[in-house]
Amino acid sequence: MVSSKPSRLKSFKGGKNFNFILVVLCLTLVFLGKLDLIAIRNIKGFLSDFLAPITFALNKPVKEIAGVFEDVKSAGSLREENIRLKSEVRKLRVINSKTSSQELELLELRQLLKVLPERKNKIITGRAITAPGGVFANTVLINAGEDYGIKVGQPAISSLGLVGYVVNVSLKTSRILLLIDINSMIPVYLTNSNWPAVVQGQSGKLLKIKFLSSKAEPIEGEAVQTSGHGERLPSGINVGKIVKSFSGKYYVKPTVDFHRLTYVSIITNKNSQAFASKNFQGFAPLQKPESTINLKGLNLSGKRKIESVED
Amino acid sequence: MFVFLFLIMNFQTSLGLFSMFKTATPSLISIIIYLCIVRLNISPSNIILFLSGFLHDIMIGNNLGITSIFLLLLKYFIESILLDRVNKKHQEEWIYFTIIFIFVFSIIFLLNLIINLSVPQLSPVFFHVGVTLILFPIINFGINIFSFVTRLIKS
Repeated sequence: MVSSKPSRLKSFKGGKNFNFILVVLCLTLVFLGKLDLIAIRNIKGFLSDFLAPITFALNKPVKEIAGVFEDVKSAGSLREENIRLKSEVRKLRVINSKTSSQELELLELRQLLKVLPERKNKIITGRAITAPGGVFANTVLINAGEDYGIKVGQPAISSLGLVGYVVNVSLKTSRILLLIDINSMIPVYLTNSNWPAVVQGQSGKLLKIKFLSSKAEPIEGEAVQTSGHGERLPSGINVGKIVKSFSGKYYVKPTVDFHRLTYVSIITNKNSQAFASKNFQGFAPLQKPESTINLKGLNLSGKRKIESVED
Repeated sequence: MFVFLFLIMNFQTSLGLFSMFKTATPSLISIIIYLCIVRLNISPSNIILFLSGFLHDIMIGNNLGITSIFLLLLKYFIESILLDRVNKKHQEEWIYFTIIFIFVFSIIFLLNLIINLSVPQLSPVFFHVGVTLILFPIINFGINIFSFVTRLIKS
């Protein structure tokens, strides 16, 4: 009798009923995970901390091999790359000479207008431990956590622009939800026309533009930056450029190459608490210049304007 | 077995570092599990599949339990429904793998749609499925060559 118990247990564990029970358990886990319970978040954090060094050690050889492949690939196009870089340097020199004079002018104007100085961001940089390899999830784990003052909601950036924001923090690691993930939504504005919008990830290469006014006319190649709406993310961080699809729809192509992330910086003085700021003012898109001249009461054709509109 | 599956899953994720798999990485784990069950008659236990899937979800930040469901359903369909009908011919093996993989992947895809309430871009999904189906005969062929060489050395 006693000896038959382990064999029964073994047959139950290998059986279809047990498979079904585990599938139901997984389904429960999926929905519990979606509820974002603190206990589950803590378990995730603890296990991430525990597994991070193992994953880093396992990923390192693959990363090295991938690096070698990239080097070999780029070696073939060195000449073209050199020519392209030379022309880019020439262009940048011209832009640089213009910018330095404009910068001085801007500083003077800022002083004249008494513009409030921008807060300096405190940045913590961590190394990306995992690659964003999932079909349904696009996140990376970095080796900096609560012990460096990282909190949920803080923005993650790289030298090229916005990477995403922190969604889970444990003692030693933090998980960053990438811009391209389906659950990511970022308030942005189009830099040429100042129209605000929201970009949403699609688990692909491009970001969907949502809540963009029907009056807005995006231009292909136009830069898109964070608007700072809700004070969740700082304004002016590069997100990407507008691209037009074959169907005529506009999308945003991120400037950051998410598959080559080595280091990620977290802006630690920005957290979700700032969301409750009462001083937040609305964002007005840049108005198209009216067809009037500066003389009060006269329009371009020299006729009198209707006074009631001004009133 | 657990360590082996965990290593394969990690390798699968880190394939994303190669520019070739920039769009999506192939599902190596499903190929390995299929070959283990059909070819080598090694069936990984349900608990091992559950745990390795659970840890994989934690590492890549997926919804908890999604990979475990995928692995458990994959094992269930391979063992219960199609195993008796599979002949050892390579073409038939490939077709059966395609049917099982696409069916299980569709279930997981639908589950993700329900959870996220939005449709993802389909090109990475098709790439993931396509590359996995292309890799299956290549890995199969590699195993055949390996077994042939071992037999040759033994004889």
